[in-house]
Amino acid sequence: MQGLLTRIATQSSGWIELRFQERKTKQIAVRNGTLEESSSKRIQGIGVRALVDGVFGFASTTDLTEQGILRAVAAAQGAAQTSASAKKHRIKGLAEASMGMGTFPVPTNDPLDNHPLEEKLALVMKIDDHIRGASSLIVSSATSYGEIQDEKLIVTSDGAKAHIFISIPEFRVMAVAQKDGDQCFGSEANGVCGGWSDLMGLKSPEDMADYAVQIAVEQLGAPHPPGGLATVVLDPGLVGVLSHEAIGHTVEADIVLGGAITADKMNQKVASELVTMVDSGASEHLPHATGTLPVDDEGVSTRKTTLIENGILRSYLHNRETAAHYGVEPTGNARAFEYSDAPIIRMRNTYIEPGETSVDELIAGVADGYYMCGLGFGGQADSNAEFMFGVREAREIKNGKIGKLVRGATISGNAFDVLNSVDAVGNDFRWDLGAGTCGKSQAAKVDAGGPHLRCKGTIGGRQ
Amino acid sequence: MNNEMILRERCREALKLTKSHGADEVEIFAQTVHAISADIEKHDLQTSSSQQETMVGIRALVNQQVGFACTNVLDDLEATCADAVKLAKASPKDPNNILADPVEFESVPDLYDTKAETFSVSDAVEQTIRMIETADAIDPRLVIGGGTFAANRETRCIVTSKGVDQAENTSLFTYYALATAKDGDKVSNMAFHFDACHHVGDIDVAPVATRACRDALGSLGAEKGESFVGPIILAPGAVQDVLVGLFAFQLNAKNAVRGSSRWGKMLGEAIAHASLTVTDDGRLPGGVATQSFDREGMPRKKITLIESGSAAALMHNGYTAAALGVANTSHASGSARSTPGIGPTNLSIKPGIVSKDELIGDIRQGLLVNRFSGSSNPISGDFSGVAKAATLIKDGKLVRPITGTLIAGNVFEALKSLSGVSLETERTFTATLPYLRLEGISVTAE
Repeated sequence: MQGLLTRIATQSSGWIELRFQERKTKQIAVRNGTLEESSSKRIQGIGVRALVDGVFGFASTTDLTEQGILRAVAAAQGAAQTSASAKKHRIKGLAEASMGMGTFPVPTNDPLDNHPLEEKLALVMKIDDHIRGASSLIVSSATSYGEIQDEKLIVTSDGAKAHIFISIPEFRVMAVAQKDGDQCFGSEANGVCGGWSDLMGLKSPEDMADYAVQIAVEQLGAPHPPGGLATVVLDPGLVGVLSHEAIGHTVEADIVLGGAITADKMNQKVASELVTMVDSGASEHLPHATGTLPVDDEGVSTRKTTLIENGILRSYLHNRETAAHYGVEPTGNARAFEYSDAPIIRMRNTYIEPGETSVDELIAGVADGYYMCGLGFGGQADSNAEFMFGVREAREIKNGKIGKLVRGATISGNAFDVLNSVDAVGNDFRWDLGAGTCGKSQAAKVDAGGPHLRCKGTIGGRQ
Repeated sequence: MNNEMILRERCREALKLTKSHGADEVEIFAQTVHAISADIEKHDLQTSSSQQETMVGIRALVNQQVGFACTNVLDDLEATCADAVKLAKASPKDPNNILADPVEFESVPDLYDTKAETFSVSDAVEQTIRMIETADAIDPRLVIGGGTFAANRETRCIVTSKGVDQAENTSLFTYYALATAKDGDKVSNMAFHFDACHHVGDIDVAPVATRACRDALGSLGAEKGESFVGPIILAPGAVQDVLVGLFAFQLNAKNAVRGSSRWGKMLGEAIAHASLTVTDDGRLPGGVATQSFDREGMPRKKITLIESGSAAALMHNGYTAAALGVANTSHASGSARSTPGIGPTNLSIKPGIVSKDELIGDIRQGLLVNRFSGSSNPISGDFSGVAKAATLIKDGKLVRPITGTLIAGNVFEALKSLSGVSLETERTFTATLPYLRLEGISVTAE
């Protein structure tokens, strides 16, 4: 296939990009001890992007013969030509980049195929039973395992020839507790870019289940927090969500060009000087972050991109088009979820660099506030960095000590205001969004994390 | 052979192959999709594309054990058929894993327009340009920051070992616009409108762009709001954001089987104020989600889910109908990429007898919320988030747009104290919804 794609790319008139993808997935889902899904998926196809007269056109096909691929090339070029007459601002060129050449297997311990379906199914069934047996208040349980195994070939007419293998397993648990007609739920999800033992080594499924049960039960009868601005300590999970969802999207260059709040803030102070934020194709600090990819879907070698350095905005996230527009190097952030998706700018592993304060000290410094852990139900952020996230676990902090749990808490505000309010950064680090899927017209597997942070945010609850 | 015949042949071939690998019962669901789209970014045409894919989904039953596999690798269909059987054999037995007997029904007319076959990429591009030109004609401060025009032709086919054998062609044109307005330092909220139709002749993108633009202009100059506990009016877009997901969850029979739906245990009981009636009509003429048959080949129908405030019925597929021993309501949802789920089709809330203005008229202090950005927990009913494109109500009048205001409450409590349903309704994606007035909502100005 690589030879065929290379020949077509070489012989094509004008710039083209050919992406072959074979994806194999498995999904096992159990609820209340009943198997709800045991499924597999295998898809193959080629996505073609052509640049004609300064406009991209895209087409995809499942016909992998030379004729089928050539028809898709013609369709992509035709779409570009059609659009060219209507587009006001043409692409002046694509930025030069370090193109990926060679084979790129992402580090994987204990390949997923070493573990048969029966073993995975038995584990999911066992953990689901474990959830319901953990408390008499649990009325519903859900447990699932999923895996994605991708093989990609990316060939461009200007030099990329990358053969990429990626494996992403994930495990999810949820518990619903009920008392006196009141229902609450607790959940946890983990995922890695790696193998079976990489996933299981992150946290045991039993421990995940126990945590979900604890949160569900403890929320029953818990009070709602009063609304208003409060001092909060965010765990690495929420720091990751804040970094990805509320800040990260505002520095994606296509969003910047669309009028994001960061559009005129390059090299300006946007956060506390304690804050350094990064997006990387590698898994820094700890291995197996889910957004790890050595080469992006434009064939560009990925690199570590410092977005905010000691509070100063230093870079946006680019594909080759936006990098050319801004006159900078591409950062390797062009990604496509499936062969039938055109690459767009997406994050990879987004995080805040650890600081120097211990977590105990962070909490001890709060007289009256909240300790907030993980993304709960729902959340949204806009390109003006305004965000609102449901919080999975929120506890009061009184006089430097963690106290009782509150339910239904949300945190909201402007993410840059929140980052400007950071007065201490933890010396710990954790990836926490490994089971996360980012949505931006198409899905992307990403990760995010960081240390604990102390800052101010608006707590939503009920008065 | 036409698309339907080709897909039927493919399904019959897969059924035989799956049987030959040891399945007792088999369901083959296949889809061929031809998709064309043109996208707007930054008030300019971004890109256009065309795609075609055939996906085959295989549900195999072996001794009431079920497995599912799907693929678009049609040259190697037998491997996927074998995989479905293998997955089934590894699964635990469940007596509710059954396939339905075939049912005779009439197809819903007018879901397919043959003109869609010649609808081209350049036609899609033309429609996106029309959205941009519409904004330009309204006000130079407007930007269509994002938008899409998509034209889809789809052939769906289902063949089962029980004798279900159905196929249908549909065409659907969907389009939306995201508009913002900028005046100096003042930036509006992002305003969103959407519409869809099945026929080329019904495409009209200008009203969608116009409404998004008007809403964006209306939120220019928004200032800090006020904190209070009191009435709010949810516009149809906010009703979609706050309530429709909860309805879909609570009225999903699978969640009743799971024990996570409180309404699932309250059929016939009051769950909301008597002014609330909710129906779902899978055969609604012109409906975005209208189909002749569901994901399991059963005929779509109309049912009342909430009648005058009482939980009237749940949405079922074959599995939940068997599990609860009731009739199937033909709400099997999903594509060839997944096993049948359950979901609403064209959901609607019955309009009330008073106008939106009358709902506002006797509010001393309140909020009109056009969109909601936050969380609405379908289990606990708690909702909390930012009121978007919101307007402060004072002494019965809309006085000024506000920003940075949180609203929070509980849907179950709010539905019981529902104090108004408007006469006016709007379509938001697949749902048709009125304005709703809720009482006792916590409003917090940041």
